[in-house]
Amino acid sequence: MIRQSIYILLRRITRDKVLYFIILTNLAVGFAAFVLLSTFISDQFNHDKQNTKYDRIYRLQLFMDQKENTVKHTWSVTAALSRKDLVDLPEIEKIALIHDVGDNNKSGVFLSVDKKNQFLTRFGYFADQSVFDIFTFRFIEGDQANALVQPFSIVLSKEVADRLFPGGNALGKQVYGENKVVFNVTGVYEDLPIKSSWRPVYILPMISYKAISGQQDYESNYWSYAFYTYVLLKPNASAASVDTKIYNALKDYRKEHHPYLRPMSKLYIDPFFEKSMYVIIGLVSFLSALILILSSINFINLQTANATTRFREIGIKKTLGFNKKRLWKQFMTESVVLTFIAAITGLFLAQLVIPALNNMLGSETFSHTFENWRLLLVIFIVTLVTGLLSGLHPAYVISSYNPVAALKQKFISEKTNGISLKKTLVTIQFSISIFMLIVGFIIYRQTQFMLKKDLGFNSETVMFANIVTDQKGSLEPLRQKLLQHSEIRNMCASDYIPFILPGGDDLNWEGGKPDDKVFVRFSNVTYDFVPTFDLKMVEGRNFSREFPADRNKCLINETATKVFGWKDPVGHRIKVFKKDYEVIGVVKDYVVFSVYNPTEPHLYRLAKDSIINNGVYAVNYASGQEKKAMEIVNTEFRNFFPNDAFEFRNMQFLTQNENALMAWKGFSKIMTLTAIITIIISSIGLFGLILFLTQRKMKEVGIRRVLGFSHTSLYMTLSSEFIRLIFISVLLAWPAAYYVYRVLPAGANKYDLQIWEFILATLLILIVAVGTISYQIIKALCVRLVDILKDE
Amino acid sequence: MVETTALHDVNFNVSKGEFVAIMGPSGCGKSTLLNILGLLDNSDSGEYFFEGVDVSGFGENQRTNLRKGNIGFIFQSFNLIDELTIFENVELPLIAMKVQPAKRKVRVEEILDQMRIGHRRSHFPRQLSGGQQQRAAIARALITSPKLILADEPTGNLDSSNGEQVMQLLEEMNAAGTTIIMVTHSLNHAERAHRIVSLFDGQLVMERSEKVFESISKVV
Repeated sequence: MIRQSIYILLRRITRDKVLYFIILTNLAVGFAAFVLLSTFISDQFNHDKQNTKYDRIYRLQLFMDQKENTVKHTWSVTAALSRKDLVDLPEIEKIALIHDVGDNNKSGVFLSVDKKNQFLTRFGYFADQSVFDIFTFRFIEGDQANALVQPFSIVLSKEVADRLFPGGNALGKQVYGENKVVFNVTGVYEDLPIKSSWRPVYILPMISYKAISGQQDYESNYWSYAFYTYVLLKPNASAASVDTKIYNALKDYRKEHHPYLRPMSKLYIDPFFEKSMYVIIGLVSFLSALILILSSINFINLQTANATTRFREIGIKKTLGFNKKRLWKQFMTESVVLTFIAAITGLFLAQLVIPALNNMLGSETFSHTFENWRLLLVIFIVTLVTGLLSGLHPAYVISSYNPVAALKQKFISEKTNGISLKKTLVTIQFSISIFMLIVGFIIYRQTQFMLKKDLGFNSETVMFANIVTDQKGSLEPLRQKLLQHSEIRNMCASDYIPFILPGGDDLNWEGGKPDDKVFVRFSNVTYDFVPTFDLKMVEGRNFSREFPADRNKCLINETATKVFGWKDPVGHRIKVFKKDYEVIGVVKDYVVFSVYNPTEPHLYRLAKDSIINNGVYAVNYASGQEKKAMEIVNTEFRNFFPNDAFEFRNMQFLTQNENALMAWKGFSKIMTLTAIITIIISSIGLFGLILFLTQRKMKEVGIRRVLGFSHTSLYMTLSSEFIRLIFISVLLAWPAAYYVYRVLPAGANKYDLQIWEFILATLLILIVAVGTISYQIIKALCVRLVDILKDE
Repeated sequence: MVETTALHDVNFNVSKGEFVAIMGPSGCGKSTLLNILGLLDNSDSGEYFFEGVDVSGFGENQRTNLRKGNIGFIFQSFNLIDELTIFENVELPLIAMKVQPAKRKVRVEEILDQMRIGHRRSHFPRQLSGGQQQRAAIARALITSPKLILADEPTGNLDSSNGEQVMQLLEEMNAAGTTIIMVTHSLNHAERAHRIVSLFDGQLVMERSEKVFESISKVV
């Protein structure tokens, strides 16, 4: 019976190619979208999964229980915590202490084999040998068990090894760091997946940190929040029990700070107890379900419509003694088989577009579905359920036909509730389409808003480089040289610049209670920091060479004045590392690190007018002169720093590649894709539905035409119903879309919603609908009257 | 909505092994009568005894079950399913009766050969001539060896030689013991039945046995 149902189906497919092409394309596109979005969602949960001890790996984080702080969690911790407080805990099997090489926030470190061809390499780390027991690395060369045991050894990722030693065989060779330190290659490992929360491209032994950084007492230092710590718990050990034991480990230093362990499964999705990632994942899941519902509704409509061409088969089968149940089974089988054909097509379709999409999104946003058996299982179940649910209505309608009427090929479904159900389905279809388009607009506009947001500083015509140098002396000669060129506007040095986040400390402020402390970030800047970045002063003045006492003064940002509650900030004093600074000016808030995060209090101290040995040098150049300016800058800096490597980049390198913004860009592209698919599926669905309805109304149209109804009035009769349904859909879709806007986690920068986004999305669906309706109706009106009426 | 009465006060008996022809002008209710006899439809009132059992109150499932294997149908327009081959079309009633596939195959091939369309078994209906299609439809009606065959103008769409072949088949079936009730417009074909029942405007107007018919035809 099932075999025969499949035969009948396949023969119908070969006969009614166009109809089944529409039915299958609709479902296949729906499934492709579903597969893509599910892959995206499942990928969000697959970060760090390459680690075999995934379930036992935790990161040490801090909860900073201070009400004024905008950021309350961090994974920058002190080394002393892991060296002193964690070591003896019975729950812990391994601890790994990690520190950036150079400052990975800035631009990394230059590596070379010959001191000449230096490569700027970002994301190198110092780490304990135990990282290889905690994380899963695959060594291509060297001995993993002893790779970080010898001082001044270096373990390279394949990516870095290939660049330094293109011929291979890196083991035992030497690598220079900044032309100052020489390392011995003790291992090469396969590049870690992009989806790793810790992704070093090379590793130096922690035992050499002291010698290289000069920090002798780092292991007992409870003040420097510059380290990262990962631990491996023993099997069945409880992280909560560790948390209780270390909760007050910092009570003698910063009693508001509480260390705790965060499981690896949360590091990407939810490191800091925020719901934003869940909202995004929830939204994408919801949209993927909606797309599937949308194409299922099309499928139901088309199959029910299609059923009316099968009266003879149904009539005969009933006459021959097939009961309702068996016919019902036949059509359910058909529905499930069709759904599976579509799902498999969709699955392969998705695999075909994944490389292109990844290319477009510029990352491994989508991984291949076939690598993920859990996802395949989900897709299988969803397909089965979709097939069964979509089959219910058509199977019910078909199996209920009265055999006599069916053989006479009369339309019986009029009597059943088929039509009102159809209206409901069409309304849902319109609602989903309008909703998806509006949400697409909202996400697009939000991303554009973030992309085009006025960052509050000049990110267009400023270039920067991080230079690590031993050189001493004044910077002024370099600045003067640069200013002799008309292309150069200004130049400054500082330890941090916008989008390179400085550290800070908990400060008490004048007028606050003795116990009140707030985390303030501070940086040291030269006189020209404010003009170089075109920052605006809202009160007071900038540092000036005319005031020698400015070394004891400071600038703060607007947020700081708000947090401190100062009405008239200039003249107030603030203590940093036991030294008093007097506020001389307030800098207008600018985006410090991410358009996503709210601004934190900042403080700027005046750097001595001399070379900063791990500083960022920024140059403001005349608009349109980037190439020329780059040449000048390279020449002048090369002359000034003859022994140090550097690489100048435009500020947009930082602002455009910032993580949160990248995530939004990716999200926006996914939404655009979703919106396009929605329009395709809606069009297919409408096309099929209207094709069917107008076919059924052919005779009615014919008789009306004979009776002298005008084309216009016929057009109105046929289309008015659809238009009415669209308006009902608006009532459902608009509030739902507005809700999405409300819960959207846009952080500090949500754009202002505008009504035209809603109207535009609705108009688009209206155009698609009216377009298809008109095409079909006009086709129906053009058929010769005799041809319609002689039928039947 | 105006309801019309298709049949009214129709009362007649068909005995086992009989060959009855039903005649009458278009719209007189022939097909409705056949549908009721074939358990495709229920009458609004009255009684219908099938093998001594009153089936007039049967629900759809009961009627389906009774129909299965007991009643075979032959239609003017053949009503073969386009998507199925001749073999599969003829096999359908056996599938409905849940007969084993191996047994089905033997039975279907036997009857196709008997109907002289065995060589057409893997063709689709529209690849066959009208006569061949009707023979396939008859094969389908016969395959369950039904007690009753209902034929609705079986020769209506056929030329005279094909029509004649169909009539011969019906006579053979009848000779083998199958009861046949046939609706027809052709007096020639009707006269080959044992008995003719004439309907007019939903009422039984005349019932002629062979002998009566002979005398009438002489007068005519």
